[in-house]
Amino acid sequence: MTSASTTMGSWPSRFGTGALLPVALLLAWQWLGTTLGTPRTPLPTRIVREAITLIASGDLPLAILQSVMRVFGGFLLAAAIAIPLGLLMGYSRAVERNVDPLVETFRPIAAIAILPLAILWLGTGTMAAVAIVAYAAFFPIIVNTVAGARNINPTLLQAASTMGLTRFTTIRTVVVPGALPAIGVGLRIAMGVGWTAIVAAELAVGAKAGGGGSGGIGQMMFVFYAYSIELNRIIVCMIAVGLVALLLDRMLRVTTTKLMPWAVA
Amino acid sequence: MPGALVYARTMLLFAALWAGIAAWKGNPILLPSPLAVLDAAVGLARDLELFEHAGVSLGRMIVSIALACVLAIPVGLAMGMSRRFERIVDPTFEMLRPISGIAWIPLALFIFGIGNALPVFIMTYAAFFPILLGTVAAVRGVDRRLIDAARTMGVPQRTIVTRVIVPAALPGLLVALRLGVALSWTAVVAAELIGAPSGLGYAVEWYRELLLTPQVMSFIAMIGVIGYLCDAGVRWLSRRLTPWAGARRG
Repeated sequence: MTSASTTMGSWPSRFGTGALLPVALLLAWQWLGTTLGTPRTPLPTRIVREAITLIASGDLPLAILQSVMRVFGGFLLAAAIAIPLGLLMGYSRAVERNVDPLVETFRPIAAIAILPLAILWLGTGTMAAVAIVAYAAFFPIIVNTVAGARNINPTLLQAASTMGLTRFTTIRTVVVPGALPAIGVGLRIAMGVGWTAIVAAELAVGAKAGGGGSGGIGQMMFVFYAYSIELNRIIVCMIAVGLVALLLDRMLRVTTTKLMPWAVA
Repeated sequence: MPGALVYARTMLLFAALWAGIAAWKGNPILLPSPLAVLDAAVGLARDLELFEHAGVSLGRMIVSIALACVLAIPVGLAMGMSRRFERIVDPTFEMLRPISGIAWIPLALFIFGIGNALPVFIMTYAAFFPILLGTVAAVRGVDRRLIDAARTMGVPQRTIVTRVIVPAALPGLLVALRLGVALSWTAVVAAELIGAPSGLGYAVEWYRELLLTPQVMSFIAMIGVIGYLCDAGVRWLSRRLTPWAGARRG
């Protein structure tokens, strides 16, 4: 009874210290906004109201779904190329020496910088957005895969060759499982980078293609900025961008721990 | 074979493949040949246009990184040293952190308009979080015994911070700085593409609208070069400032 009451007592107080500043900031924002602002000034209460409207009308869930599907598309494309190539590079010095210059040359070029080319080649629709995500996600996956494949315990590789395993079997049974934890890290970083890239791509397409209908959450934000000037709705979208980022990360973390419980470190 | 030669061979093969596809496609707007791009790059370099835009972007990044450091490092030091302070401010930062700098662009466009303030704000925001988290982690990682030893010898708190904690946390801080620089450089391109009248991102978009693809590619390459040089610069800085921390450099 006493122990229960102490935990009951300590939990809300700890939660209270954490919530103190956000709640104070929100209250200050609401108070300043109502006393000084105009009817269009963003306020926490108005943001909640707009969020409910946008969710109820289905516009926001649809835009998020569209963006998330694009991220998945680009992400899978990047993983399908980067993981096999990375394994090969980590396993064979010769492959690594010859391919690494390409990877290192293109890696410092930000994905958004490729956007104008992607628009030129693929138009302003889904394909360009998917290509940007794939480009952004490719580098974290390949860098981590190479590192994972290279850091495999050499004793295991020697044991495999002593037992006369073929090169393919060695890759399948030693290199791949050994590199999986690092690949998981790469995939998680790639998902975060991909989500940032899709928002940027959709925003830029919205801005530069005259609002041409590419859809997605980024485009939605741009429309609220450029055409209807609804700051409350822009903030709703920003919060949605943050929540989806958290959810995607959590989802990938759960999947990787489920698939490779030995990689929890 | 030395590394530079392997590098040259790979890039020459890539250029040859590119030239082959360009010749096969025969559409200089969609895919100009490598020589056309080189020609455009030389032209842009001779007009100094390439360097002017690069200078503008680089200047914005330096201002943003300085701002992000001034904001993030003291807060990070305080969070790393005081659990209570961390408990108060951490949830607020954790709520903002998942919202990428790029998602702030529409709101920031409304607040700042098109100009210098927008990219600087976006880049500062993008660099703030990695520097903050890196500082907190680096301060946490400082050997307690060093702090205790200093305290036992009667060193005042302020001196402990400047002479013990900051030097011990410096290697970790520089790793965080490297990440911050990389993220803010990604953000500058997006911010300039949408909301700035100058800079590399703007130039890329400007030449795309004119359908001058060789120029677009030259500026894209410049973005990569500057990104690479910035990263090399931070690595050089960490070698110079913390030569003892070789193992912790990424």
